[in-house]
Amino acid sequence: MDLIMKQMPVVVSALNVGFLQTLKLFIVTLIGALPLGLVIAFGSMSHFKPLSWLARLIVWVIRGTPLMIQLLIIYYFPGLVLHNPIWGGGEAGRFLAAAVSFIINYACYFSEIYRGGIQGVPEGQKEAGLVLGMTKHQIFFKITLLQMIKRIVPPMSNEIITLVKDTSLARIIALQEIIWAGQAFMKGSHGISGAIWPLFFTAVYYLIFNGILTVLLGRLEKKLEYFR
Amino acid sequence: MKKITALALTSAMVLSLAACGGSSSDTKTSDDSKKASKSDVEYVQDKGTLVVGITDFEPMDYKDDNDEWIGFDADMAKAFAKSLGVDAEFVEIDWDNKVMELDGKTIDCVWNGMTLTDEVTSAMACTSAYCNNAQVVVVPSDKADKYQDKDSLKDLSFAVESGSAGEEAVSGEGYDYTAVSSQSDALMEVAAGTSDAAVIDLLMAGAMVGKGTGYENLTHTVELTTEKYGVGFRKGSDLADKLNEFFKTSYNDGSMKKCAETYGVQDAIIEQK
Repeated sequence: MDLIMKQMPVVVSALNVGFLQTLKLFIVTLIGALPLGLVIAFGSMSHFKPLSWLARLIVWVIRGTPLMIQLLIIYYFPGLVLHNPIWGGGEAGRFLAAAVSFIINYACYFSEIYRGGIQGVPEGQKEAGLVLGMTKHQIFFKITLLQMIKRIVPPMSNEIITLVKDTSLARIIALQEIIWAGQAFMKGSHGISGAIWPLFFTAVYYLIFNGILTVLLGRLEKKLEYFR
Repeated sequence: MKKITALALTSAMVLSLAACGGSSSDTKTSDDSKKASKSDVEYVQDKGTLVVGITDFEPMDYKDDNDEWIGFDADMAKAFAKSLGVDAEFVEIDWDNKVMELDGKTIDCVWNGMTLTDEVTSAMACTSAYCNNAQVVVVPSDKADKYQDKDSLKDLSFAVESGSAGEEAVSGEGYDYTAVSSQSDALMEVAAGTSDAAVIDLLMAGAMVGKGTGYENLTHTVELTTEKYGVGFRKGSDLADKLNEFFKTSYNDGSMKKCAETYGVQDAIIEQK
């Protein structure tokens, strides 16, 4: 216990650096995937068949393969097959490749949630809009989209919390997020070697951050209660 | 109206896909033709950096208090880069992906106490060996007396790093083992009692088990195999020959030995002829 207390300051500062990477990847993914998901959802719901087939094909491929493989393909494929290592070997390139993989992956999951939300709005709501003389545009933005947002908050919260933990997969392309930082102490880093506890201690970071997210998303859900 | 928008969107997507395909095959051909005329040495010199793939591994590559990469390998890599007129850039990689990192040109060499196994030499252009090492058995100190020769190890369960020289050693002896993702994971298995023993590098064992380390209750006993360290480059790279020359001159002028003494590995270095 004494040893752990002595190592604590060094470990915490290293884990903080790693967690910052985790947080950055989480935020960038959300910023990219939330709108991209909506675009894919529109695509898959389009009455123009080729567009909807294309969107559904993308969703099938991305949801049907492990994110870990997608990370490996997106990071290594350009250099291995096209002989043009577009990402470079540095930390920034690894982050960018990871962000692209996560945005594409999560946009596909989000798109299905959006689709469910949009299609779940009762037909009568649109008819009511038509009766009131609203245009198709007005109906979509003022009636359907608004009610969709309320419906999708619980399933979205679920995905968002999963995303926090999924960021740890990026270590496969050597992005130094918090799990990587914790594992580094097992073989030796910052003058501490053979310490196992920092790896397990990273769970505390995830737990606290997800606790905060749960509270925030719960509040959002409450705010949208008035629709019922 | 909506259909027209959809059609426009689709054709835009298809076109952009086609454009992607076109441009990437363009770069491929131009790169291939460049590759034929350009050696790896020129590639690195044009770029101005030698990207060195490493893992945090004392005493070969590790960070000092100023976050600077130091160690026997790191210092030699810096000197080698300087001789080429470029900067050395160190990048931490996942050891399992080292060949992919090299071939994908995200790094230029693997220089991190890499054991020259058949697997490594067949997938990379390797230098001649510059350092000796051994694979040793790590067991809890209180049981160490019982396990001082190979016969006594037969019934133990081992943990080894997947794809490491340690795995080769235990499978060669026919021991029962579990492959884990790193040498430190293997040590954790022994510390947690989920495996009876681990097999890791002697250099690493010296730094990580025993008094004054994180694994005070572990110790190393039998040497299973001895081995040699080398540096790996992309297959067919002319950088390997370049580094062999560099090793020769730095061995002969004593700078290699001096560097090794800084990190306490002087007894392990190999004469470069």
